[in-house]
Amino acid sequence: MLSGRSGGQGAPPRILIVDDDPNLLVLLADQLRADGFDTQTARDGDEALRRLKSGWPDLLIIDMMMPRMDGLTLAREIKGRADLPIIVLSAIDAGDSKADLLEEVAEDYVTKPYHYPELRARINRILRRLGDKVPRQSLVLGPDLTLDLHRREATVGQDVVQLTPTESRLLYALAANLGQTVTTETLLARGWAETEDADASYVWVTMRRLRQKVEADPNRPVHLQTVRGVGYRLVVSAGPEATTEGEAGDG
Amino acid sequence: MADDRPIARDARDDELRASAGDGQGLGLRLSFRTRLTIGLVAASLIPLAAFGAILLIVDPPAQAGTLGRLLLFVLVVAAMVAILLAYLLATDLTAPLRAIAAAVARTSAGDLSTPIIVPGDDELARLADSHNRLAADLERRNRELRRILEAIERGSPRESPDFIAGRAAHDAKDAFGMIDAVVLLVDPREVPITERVPGESLPIRAILRIGGEQIGVLVGRLSATRVWERADQDLLELYASEVAVAIRNAELFAQVEAQNSQLLELDAAKDDFLRGVSHNLQTPLTSIRAYADQLGRDRPDRRLGIIGEQTDRLSRMVRQLLTVTRLESGALKPRSEVVALSHPVRRAWEALAAEGVPFKVDDGSAGWLAVADVDQLDQVLWALLDNAVKYGERSPIHVEIAPVPDQGRLRLTISDLGPGVAESDRNRLFRRFERGIERTANDGSGLGLYVSRELCRTMDGDLVLEQPLAGRGATFSIFLPGEPPEDASASG
Repeated sequence: MLSGRSGGQGAPPRILIVDDDPNLLVLLADQLRADGFDTQTARDGDEALRRLKSGWPDLLIIDMMMPRMDGLTLAREIKGRADLPIIVLSAIDAGDSKADLLEEVAEDYVTKPYHYPELRARINRILRRLGDKVPRQSLVLGPDLTLDLHRREATVGQDVVQLTPTESRLLYALAANLGQTVTTETLLARGWAETEDADASYVWVTMRRLRQKVEADPNRPVHLQTVRGVGYRLVVSAGPEATTEGEAGDG
Repeated sequence: MADDRPIARDARDDELRASAGDGQGLGLRLSFRTRLTIGLVAASLIPLAAFGAILLIVDPPAQAGTLGRLLLFVLVVAAMVAILLAYLLATDLTAPLRAIAAAVARTSAGDLSTPIIVPGDDELARLADSHNRLAADLERRNRELRRILEAIERGSPRESPDFIAGRAAHDAKDAFGMIDAVVLLVDPREVPITERVPGESLPIRAILRIGGEQIGVLVGRLSATRVWERADQDLLELYASEVAVAIRNAELFAQVEAQNSQLLELDAAKDDFLRGVSHNLQTPLTSIRAYADQLGRDRPDRRLGIIGEQTDRLSRMVRQLLTVTRLESGALKPRSEVVALSHPVRRAWEALAAEGVPFKVDDGSAGWLAVADVDQLDQVLWALLDNAVKYGERSPIHVEIAPVPDQGRLRLTISDLGPGVAESDRNRLFRRFERGIERTANDGSGLGLYVSRELCRTMDGDLVLEQPLAGRGATFSIFLPGEPPEDASASG
């Protein structure tokens, strides 16, 4: 189920952990190994970059605050070489002024002190998403809608609309299966991997909110279509006339 | 002598009728040309009329019939010829006057470029000449003024004072046609006044004033032949004062900019500092918490649980302090997602690990989901439940969740049955570092309610202290934006 770059079927995903705190490094590596991951550790950015030469991990966990090269710089450096997924571990949270910068280079971030099950859920979510193969570039869905999911932005007509993390995760899952129906269960798993609280109503209401953000007429959706009782699909539309065809497909 | 009067009166009447016909009113003002015409006609007819009158008096009245008619005929013909000649002569004589009048009217209407051409060297020609000079002067000053205004408009407070001074000198040189000009931003008394030497270039000078303050001086030279009048000097001084204002603005702007960037630097430094503090505190807490968890899994021990909980508490307090500084700098950007409120309530309660305190959640949300930043909401719920445990004196804690459909909001109330909040404390409670006086417990930062209310507000919600029912306990209500349930039959 996990798409690995380091090996064939069945090989455990390899995770490179970069942190200057040796306690944390040992601990986290232990925890991840106990859950069946193949772990590597590096004490700083230089060591991490050296390790990359001998093979690419499936995912990196990088501490934000490190001497010499900070996590942000390292993440940029790595993204410049290969589009490896990165989780940044840091004491800063969403309110921090650097959080936005972080989101541009990293797939996700987890605040310290981290809650291990949550971190694991996020790792799994990102590894699953690797199979989605959505390029880190603009996805043009029609003359009136362009998605920039790596920036969590949608361009609706002339306006740029910010997407929440969950909204962009749902769109990621839908965009990976463009034109095909994605079940509500799948969307629930992608959007709310780190919590047990969510149920289908979260998906329904979030999709409704998404439509209000990205559809010209939320009551007659062109791009985000409901497949009643099954799930949703994301549709490329050439123009407004495609509406009727899309709706006919709903029944 | 009285004989000219009917004629004169006729002429006046004509003029009056003419002016009435022109709709210019009935005043007795007559144009210069009309008066000249009347004068000329009178001058030519009075001798003839006098001659006729004398003839009539001297000769016998018997012959008067023929002679009288003849005289009348001659008089009429002479009058007509005189009027015609007088009109032509008057028109010719007054033509330059009318030209001057028209030119003055043009000048006052703003056209300075058409000179009056009056040939000859008489008074009128000289009048026309001085008008032409006046118009040329006006035009030159207008041009100067226009250039000055353009120069003033071009300025921007973002330019440096020295740059503005340099350009002002250049503009002044252009506008006033100087040989050279310079603006010196020094005390004008330090710049010696150049004496005027006939035949050499003409030194000019204007002080840059703002109110009573002199911030510099504009000095320059004009060609020796150039006329420099009081009005030119006034204009130059006006310009100098505008330059002074522009320079002062630029100085003030630069000062504000410098202070701004200093504040931004300080803000960034504060952010860095707090980030560092947070990192340095949270990193060891992370290890403690994780090791306690790991040990607890291997060998369950209540003491390890307490280590974990207390680590959590400490880490939350560090976060709360960070949140306060972010609230103050307005840097808090909630990422609002949909959430069923009962879940974060239960999780916050579990995190508190307040054993032995009865706790009940009445979830009446009827499928409504709140729209909130889950992290921020967790901070709020944790702080309010922590307060309820601390100040409720272990009385049962009751949480109720209900939608307020007409407001599109959800309301979550947390009540305890403790002593409640004293009336005198109600207003102070949400201020920073305030605790109720009656609340004697001295653990806690005094920030919880302040931070919670501010967090709720950044999420477009609110936090209020309700009036106590039955005089017991404290009840806080959180309001958050809500989403009604989606019709399941129409959903994916």
